[in-house]
Amino acid sequence: MRDAYKLDYRLEVVGAIKRNDSTTLKRLYTNNYPKIEALILKNSGTKEHAKDIFQEAFLAVWQNVKQDKFIPQSESSINGYLYTIAKNKWMDVLRSQGYKKTITASHLSHFEIKDEENNGIDDDILKDKRLEDVMLAFKNLGEACKSLLRMFYFEKKSMNLIAEELKLDAASTRNKKYRCMQKLRQIALNNN
Amino acid sequence: MDLRDISEEEFERIEAYLAQTLSNEDLSVFEERLQNEEGFAEKVEDIKTVLSGLEAQALKEQLDYFHDELLTNEEDVIVEPKVKFLNWKRIAVAAALIIAAGSAWFLSGNPNEKLYAKYFSPDPGLPTTMGSNANYEFYEAMVSYKQGDYKVAISKWEKQLMEHPKNDTLNYFIGVAYLADEEAQTAIPFLDTASQNASFPLINDTYYYLGLAYLKTGSLEKSKQNLEKSSIENSKALLSELKN
Repeated sequence: MRDAYKLDYRLEVVGAIKRNDSTTLKRLYTNNYPKIEALILKNSGTKEHAKDIFQEAFLAVWQNVKQDKFIPQSESSINGYLYTIAKNKWMDVLRSQGYKKTITASHLSHFEIKDEENNGIDDDILKDKRLEDVMLAFKNLGEACKSLLRMFYFEKKSMNLIAEELKLDAASTRNKKYRCMQKLRQIALNNN
Repeated sequence: MDLRDISEEEFERIEAYLAQTLSNEDLSVFEERLQNEEGFAEKVEDIKTVLSGLEAQALKEQLDYFHDELLTNEEDVIVEPKVKFLNWKRIAVAAALIIAAGSAWFLSGNPNEKLYAKYFSPDPGLPTTMGSNANYEFYEAMVSYKQGDYKVAISKWEKQLMEHPKNDTLNYFIGVAYLADEEAQTAIPFLDTASQNASFPLINDTYYYLGLAYLKTGSLEKSKQNLEKSSIENSKALLSELKN
C-alpha cells in the first residue's frame, strides 16, 4: 500500500546524498557509526581504526551512489551496504602484513563472511593516486579559496548566492573561482 | 602537454560539460574536440578528477565534524547520575499500581473499547527526508506527528488545510492525528473528506481508520460499513471480530 511513497523516498534519499544534504549525511553517519565501531572493537581494532575505516567506507558509498554504481532501494539498504564495505575493509587490514604477526587466525573467524560477498562492490575510490593528491592539496589550500570552492562544489550553492555572500559581482566571483581552481591544481601537481 | 595550461573560458566549458549543462550545439562541438584534439580528453579527465577529489576532501572534513559531534553527544549520555538514585521499591509500587489500574480499566471497559485498543495504532507517517523543495511545512508537521506531538502537528496541518480544504493527504493525517489524540469524534469528518477521493493511495487506510473512529464513538454499523470497504488485513480481522 505504501509503494506509492517508497518510490518518492528512494529518489529523495539518493537526491539528498547527491547534493550533499548535510542533514541526510549526518543521519547516515550517526546511525551507522556505532555498529561499525562495535564490530571493529570486537575484532582487535581501536576507536581510531574504527573512525578511519568507517569514514573510508562512507566515502566509498557516497561515491558509488553519486555515480549510480549503487542504487539503494531504501535507507536500510544503504546502511547494509555501508556495513558490508566497512567490514570488508577491516578484513583487508587484518589480513595485511602488519597485522598477520599479531593477530591469530581465530580473530578472523568472527566475521563469518565469505569472500564472494565482496564481489561486485567497488570500494576503492581512494586508491587513485591523482585523486589522493587533489584531496591532500585541497586540505592544505588557503582558507579563502577553500571556502569558496567548498561553497561551489560541495554545498552546490548558486553563483548568485555565493557572489552575494562574498559581496562581489558575478564576474569577479567566477574569476576568483577559476583562480582558486588553478591554485588547487598547481598544488596537486607539485605533490607528485 | 601541460595540464595547467587552461583558460578561464575553457575551464568553464569543461565544467559545464561535466555537469551536463552544455547546449546541444556546444555539446557536439565539444565531443568533436574530445575525439580529435590531442590531449583534450586528458585535460577533461583531469578536471573531472580534480572536482571529485575536491568534493571528496570537503566531505571528509564534514565527516570529521560529524564525528566530533557524535563524541560530544556520547559524553552527554554517559553523564547521567540520576539513574543511580532511583528508588527501586518506589518504582515497583508505582508499576504495580499502574498495572492494577490499567487492567481494571481494561476489564471493565466495553468490548468495543477493547477492540479499538487492540487494533488502533497511529499511521507510521511518511518519511521526512525532504530537501528544500515544496511541501516543507507539510513535512515539518509530519516530524511533530511522528514524535507524538499530535496537537502541534494538527495545528500546522490545519493551517495548510485552509488553502487546500479537499486535499486527501492532509485530511487523512489530520484525521489520524485526532484519532491518536483520542478525539475520535473530531477525526471523523476529516477522514470522511479524505475517503471521497477513490484514487487516494491511502484509501484503504482511510476506511480502516474511519471504521476505528466509528467504533470508538459507538456507531457500530457505520464502523462495519467502512471496514468492509478497506482491503487491509487488520480491517478484515477487526470486522470478523465485530461480527462474532
